[in-house]
Amino acid sequence: MGQSIAATGLTHNPAHRRGALSSRMMRLQNGVGAWLFLLPAVVFFVGYQVYPIFRVLWISFTDYQFLTNEPAHWVWFKNYAEALSDPLMWASLWRATYFTILFLPGTIILPLLLAILVDRVTQPRLATLYRVVLLIPAVIPSTLVFVLWKWMYNFQTGPINHLLVDTFGLFDARDAPQWLGGTALTLPSIAVMEVWWGLGYHTIFFLAGLAAIPKDLPEAARIDGASEWQVFWHVTRPRLAPVMMILVVLRFGSAMAVIDEYLIFGGFNRETPTYTWTMFMYDEAFKTGLWRQGFGAAIGMIGAVAMMIVVVFLLRIFRPRD
Amino acid sequence: MTERSEREDAMREAGRQQLREGKIDRREFLTRSMVAGLGIAGVGALGKGTMRSALAADPRPLTPTFYSWIQDLHPGIPEVNKKFPGLNYQIAPVEGFGIERFVAEGKNKESTWDVYVGQTPFVEMSALIKADVIEPWDNYIPKDVIDDIIPSIRAECTVNGKLYSWPFLLDIAGMGWHSGLTAKAGLPDKGPLTWDEYLAGAQKIVDSKAAPYGATFDPHGWRSLVPMAHSMSSAIYKDGLVDFTAEPVVEALKLMKKIMALGNPDILLEGASDGGVNGTPDEVSFGAQKVGFYTKYFNAPLRMAQYWDDPKLLHLGPLPKFTGGEGSTVFWTTGCALFKYGQNKEKAAEYIKALTYDPQIWKDSIVGTATAHPGQLPPYSSIYAAWNTNKPDWMPDFVSLVRSQLEKAKAIDNHVFGLQQFVIGKPIWETYLKGTEPDPKVALAKVNEAIAAEMKRG
Repeated sequence: MGQSIAATGLTHNPAHRRGALSSRMMRLQNGVGAWLFLLPAVVFFVGYQVYPIFRVLWISFTDYQFLTNEPAHWVWFKNYAEALSDPLMWASLWRATYFTILFLPGTIILPLLLAILVDRVTQPRLATLYRVVLLIPAVIPSTLVFVLWKWMYNFQTGPINHLLVDTFGLFDARDAPQWLGGTALTLPSIAVMEVWWGLGYHTIFFLAGLAAIPKDLPEAARIDGASEWQVFWHVTRPRLAPVMMILVVLRFGSAMAVIDEYLIFGGFNRETPTYTWTMFMYDEAFKTGLWRQGFGAAIGMIGAVAMMIVVVFLLRIFRPRD
Repeated sequence: MTERSEREDAMREAGRQQLREGKIDRREFLTRSMVAGLGIAGVGALGKGTMRSALAADPRPLTPTFYSWIQDLHPGIPEVNKKFPGLNYQIAPVEGFGIERFVAEGKNKESTWDVYVGQTPFVEMSALIKADVIEPWDNYIPKDVIDDIIPSIRAECTVNGKLYSWPFLLDIAGMGWHSGLTAKAGLPDKGPLTWDEYLAGAQKIVDSKAAPYGATFDPHGWRSLVPMAHSMSSAIYKDGLVDFTAEPVVEALKLMKKIMALGNPDILLEGASDGGVNGTPDEVSFGAQKVGFYTKYFNAPLRMAQYWDDPKLLHLGPLPKFTGGEGSTVFWTTGCALFKYGQNKEKAAEYIKALTYDPQIWKDSIVGTATAHPGQLPPYSSIYAAWNTNKPDWMPDFVSLVRSQLEKAKAIDNHVFGLQQFVIGKPIWETYLKGTEPDPKVALAKVNEAIAAEMKRG
């Protein structure tokens, strides 16, 4: 750019030089203004996102223990090697993956079906009512949701087992299903609760996606003789792919990194299905021994990298193909 | 200007407080007041040292922080607080036994609070000492109080000869039974003295269909495995940790398996709150009147019996023992920790003394109130002696029972892995209880190995 200006000989003209200078000043001023507006977000991003990530990364290469006042030592990849050679690391990663496999279809298939049904309701008041009803679980505070489902799933006094044992007589008091507390049913039970909890929220995503599809597209397909299934598969579904991508990626991340529900429904028993890598990390960093936060950070980084690999894979699957 | 005025007021108030407590004389108080009031630079310089000491000595009101359940179970605490005007009473940010905030502040050599009411020695005291967060009470607790603490409790709260926990609420493992169900099963209304009698009674409850389940326990090690082991012998510790291969522990595990056969099928499941530690299935069973016999710290049957049609049907007794066994049990206290970087330490001692000797708190705890019946007991000999001399008409029998148990009972040793040894070990010893490992000794040897491996990590 500078070279081309010099080649035209414009720099020899003082008026042009002043013009170029003032335009550069304006650009600079605009730049400074933009950065000033961006500054709060940048400070927040660096302070609350970038710095903690790098801090944890640094800690993961040290033998830092929270309960001692001794300085941390750089141990290179010792924590990573130790974590990767611990069978609990792999078992806990698999448990989180298993929960995600149970949970993710419920965030896509069921809400999609419901969204298509609700979208077809033409009576405005009824459509609004359906939307409100669907959103009710999403606005219930997490504590209440957990209390409600803990009661529902209670082995001895919960209504589900009451129905199974006392009403239908399918089980007796000794062999009734143990839904929570560390059995094989614990993760599926939590997944059902999570699907119920997020149903309205996820359905709204798809309803927004459906609203963005021009109505004449499915109409034209129907006129051309397409069946309802063909309309859905060839017209609706491809146009909902971006919504699906957002939901899958977001919910994959949250499902893999669940910890609150596991703390509440499972505890720190290392053999229970709810003892996932997030629990392992928390247990090592805030509960066990002198709180080996270097080791805990390494577990966290391994989990995060594993998740990022899958996210890249998911982004590739759901990439736009038009 | 306002800030300076507030500062001057704070200095005056601090001076008044020290004058009342006899730490400064009237002349010193007047000098400080003048300095604070005039705010003249020269006079300020003159009184700088004394001002600083006044501010440093008492710049904020006494700020205790309580574990939330303590307040829930003991509604008399606010009445004690009224005797300490200006007290900044707070609820601790320690859900699920977390002490992260305390440690983080301690690392910065500061503390938002002066005293933490909620410390269980074997759970967290060693960690708080190691992290240099708390200091001993020895310089602040009156000698008559320290001498009044029951010796076994004093030992629990002491590390290297220093008292790091001022004990408050005593819990002790024992036995409770639903006398309505045991009567229905044709059992005499007295607690079984041995585990054999206990198992036979539980079998009879099931066989007679008086209740679906005969007996239950809480599967967490410090609430079942160790108390049951203590009932044979409390000599199960090695280097501050439980030696899980010790014979009493092996026998206790075998006993747990026998009880399980007569208990609620969900007995091993994790609890519903506090990271699986509380809201356990045994409590649900006992609260729902589905089980006859129950072994846990007394607080649990007392709390659960509140949900019964007739809570008076709850009867309590000591933990049964193995034939020829020591007959000991486990106790722990929930006590008060003094933050090293807190303030108002003398005042804190004054407050904790008032709290822990308050007669209304103990009456409410023992008899129960409209909202709670914790059944937790005081840690002082003099209180029991006074009750013995002049037994109050509201006093139930289990109080003297607990007091007599304290002669034999032992607390779990203090160690950084004091609680974690049970968390790590539970899934491993449960392999025997679930039948995947047929030999209890093998299962318990693996527990020792797992704890040693975790300790090696740090």
